[in-house]
Amino acid sequence: MAPHSPGTDQIDTLLWIGFVAAAIVVVAINVALFAAVRKYRSERGAEPRQLSGGRGIQFRVAGALTAFALVVFILGVVFTDKARQQPNTGSAGLASAKVEPLQIKATGQQWLWRYEYPNGAFSYYKVVVPVDTAVELDLISTDVVHTWNVPDLAGKHDAVPGKTNHVAFRADDEGEFDGEAATLSGQAYASMRTEVDVVSPQAYEEFLKQQKSDIDAAQERVVGLIENGEVP
Amino acid sequence: MSETPRPELVVEGFPARPRPRWIELTTSADHKDIGRILITGALGFLFLAAVELLLMRLQLAIPENNFMTPVGFNRMLSTYGATAIFFFAIPLVFGFFYYVAPLQIGARGTALPRLGQLGAALFGAGAIVYYAGFMFTPSEAGVNPLSPLTELAFLSNNGVDAWATATGLATLGFVFLAIDLLTTLRRLRAPGMAWRRVPIFAWAATVSCWLMLVIGPVLLAALTMLMIDRNYDGIFFADGSGGAPLLWQHLSWIFFTGTYMLVLIFAFGAIAEIVATFSGKPLFNRASVMVSLAAIAVVGTLAWMQNMTTAPIGIGWTYFAMLMSLALLVPFGLIVFNLISTLVGGVLRMRAPLLFAIGAISMISIGLGAELEQSLVAASWQLKNTTDATAATHFALLGGAVFGGFAALYYWFPKMTGRTMGEYMARFSFWTMVVGILLAFIPLFFAGAEHGQVIDAYKFFSGKGVDAYNLIASIGTLILLTGIVLTLVNAIQSRVNGAEAGHDPWGGDTLEWFALSPPEPHNFDVLPDVRSPRPMRDIRLAIANRTARGERPARESQPVA
Repeated sequence: MAPHSPGTDQIDTLLWIGFVAAAIVVVAINVALFAAVRKYRSERGAEPRQLSGGRGIQFRVAGALTAFALVVFILGVVFTDKARQQPNTGSAGLASAKVEPLQIKATGQQWLWRYEYPNGAFSYYKVVVPVDTAVELDLISTDVVHTWNVPDLAGKHDAVPGKTNHVAFRADDEGEFDGEAATLSGQAYASMRTEVDVVSPQAYEEFLKQQKSDIDAAQERVVGLIENGEVP
Repeated sequence: MSETPRPELVVEGFPARPRPRWIELTTSADHKDIGRILITGALGFLFLAAVELLLMRLQLAIPENNFMTPVGFNRMLSTYGATAIFFFAIPLVFGFFYYVAPLQIGARGTALPRLGQLGAALFGAGAIVYYAGFMFTPSEAGVNPLSPLTELAFLSNNGVDAWATATGLATLGFVFLAIDLLTTLRRLRAPGMAWRRVPIFAWAATVSCWLMLVIGPVLLAALTMLMIDRNYDGIFFADGSGGAPLLWQHLSWIFFTGTYMLVLIFAFGAIAEIVATFSGKPLFNRASVMVSLAAIAVVGTLAWMQNMTTAPIGIGWTYFAMLMSLALLVPFGLIVFNLISTLVGGVLRMRAPLLFAIGAISMISIGLGAELEQSLVAASWQLKNTTDATAATHFALLGGAVFGGFAALYYWFPKMTGRTMGEYMARFSFWTMVVGILLAFIPLFFAGAEHGQVIDAYKFFSGKGVDAYNLIASIGTLILLTGIVLTLVNAIQSRVNGAEAGHDPWGGDTLEWFALSPPEPHNFDVLPDVRSPRPMRDIRLAIANRTARGERPARESQPVA
């Protein structure tokens, strides 16, 4: 995983904070545990002696733990809020998405993602987005729960039938970013993958136009076939 | 003189009719017989679960492997989940509670023995239904089968029905066991055994029974709705008008999160008894541990939405779940602090129960540490449903149910059978298991956190940088299985060949060591007045004082038997 969007930058920081907090807890417990075992194992003949200490020490330990948990909680809220902030389209981004983010509808279905662009074009498996542009994916599902998951750009978000989920990101670099669906959705779940192609705004516009005309041409051809009676 | 002084009493009774031990065991309503059945059954399912895990790891040993089909893998996954949770972890936990807790509180039996018997029978029925279903079509929907994948439209064979019936029967059984045990713990404590003197493991049993009474019916309701959806065209979990796929997630995660806490409460209850016994002194602060155990049940279960951070629910709910998860740090931290403070200054006898107990604390700490990182909402967007989550859950639950469960097994086996389990084999098994669990799950942390390998997939693709991690994990799982089998073999062998144990082999402080090993059907001939949280120590001291005629004080650290 390597962050390529402002949101994933924040997530990356939070992952490190979480890792450090977890490491402190795990190391502290295990060092204390093994030190105690090493020191006091099989002191035969010795009398066991109880440490002195009443309620005070319990409250102090509980207080320290509470403070630690609160600090981690606050950091968690702060960085989660930063990570889910709607990014703004940058100077190199798509001009038409300066005010409102570019809306793309992502439909999860067994076992493929379908993307619908603003001009009516659509694509399967691969979504093309312009670089440095705020993109909002509207996640829906037509069958079971699917998790849209592109770690380098946005992390995981569920597409649940009957509900719309949103995921916003701004890709900072051009390139191909792939992801795998992350909720068991049936037989071909392991093959349910997706790819985000981040390209320049010009290339994006061109792709949209090309895709739209290809789809229109194909549909006209089908309509023609039916009208000519070649296909019943 | 054939005249009896009281002719109305029949003194001869019916002639004893010899019957096979197994039929006596399976039809008895005695809590010890039921407890043994639950524990034996659970350990059998532990072996099955470990084999199923190994089979899945064999499939995942190399990239794009064709050892299993996708459907075969999904069936194995669902079976592993049901076996590990419903037929191993919960019955093991309740088996130990059911056997030990009534003895610890000085009861002569349970309050509602027939209800307990029914509970154990329902667990057996659930297991049979599941594995009978396994013969033709097991469920393909995963460990927690998320709706609407479980709707008839997507999985039309009987697998999900078999899963729902089996887990439903077993859960109903656990609820009955909890009712029986809770009534026992509330009504049948020995004279003088106030709540503040109740042994810590019996307290853990009380908390766990309350918890099961809350979470069990929640799952039963969800399963009922699922069955109505599948068989009578219901729309509880269907999308569209009136249905809510997320409702299943809420209900099921309440149960599964509660179960997670149940296993850890059991483990820490057993570990606390063992640490106190083997360091030769009482718990550093009983009250603190008791409050913490209860807090884990409440706060931990309230964190269920931690599993739904990527679902379309309000962000406020996920913050609430994060707050509850992080709040768990306080009770868990306090318990571990008290356990370590009990070890400090003690005279540690490093026998098998203590070894496994310390291993359990260590493994649980690794698992809960990783859960701490995942509880941060944005971090969970990356870590959720990756092998990082698999590893965290397995460290915590294998630490609790397998290391903690084996600690309890080694500790109470002499009470159940009258024989001690082999010490050398225990050590060998322990270190094999430690190597196994570390090799099996540490690499999965890296595969999940660094490379985002997703869970539940029947294959992974090469060139993602996770090949080596998965291979090591598969080898580690084999080693882990070997270690588990060693302890199971140890138990089977020691049942007949183990060294004879007296009634109190470890010098424990609680009343179960006052009964014979194995205890008489009525548990105790006489019961002492309980004057402290350490009644057995009081008895030992009284005996020693009497024999020494007050000439010299008894040695505290000396075991009686």
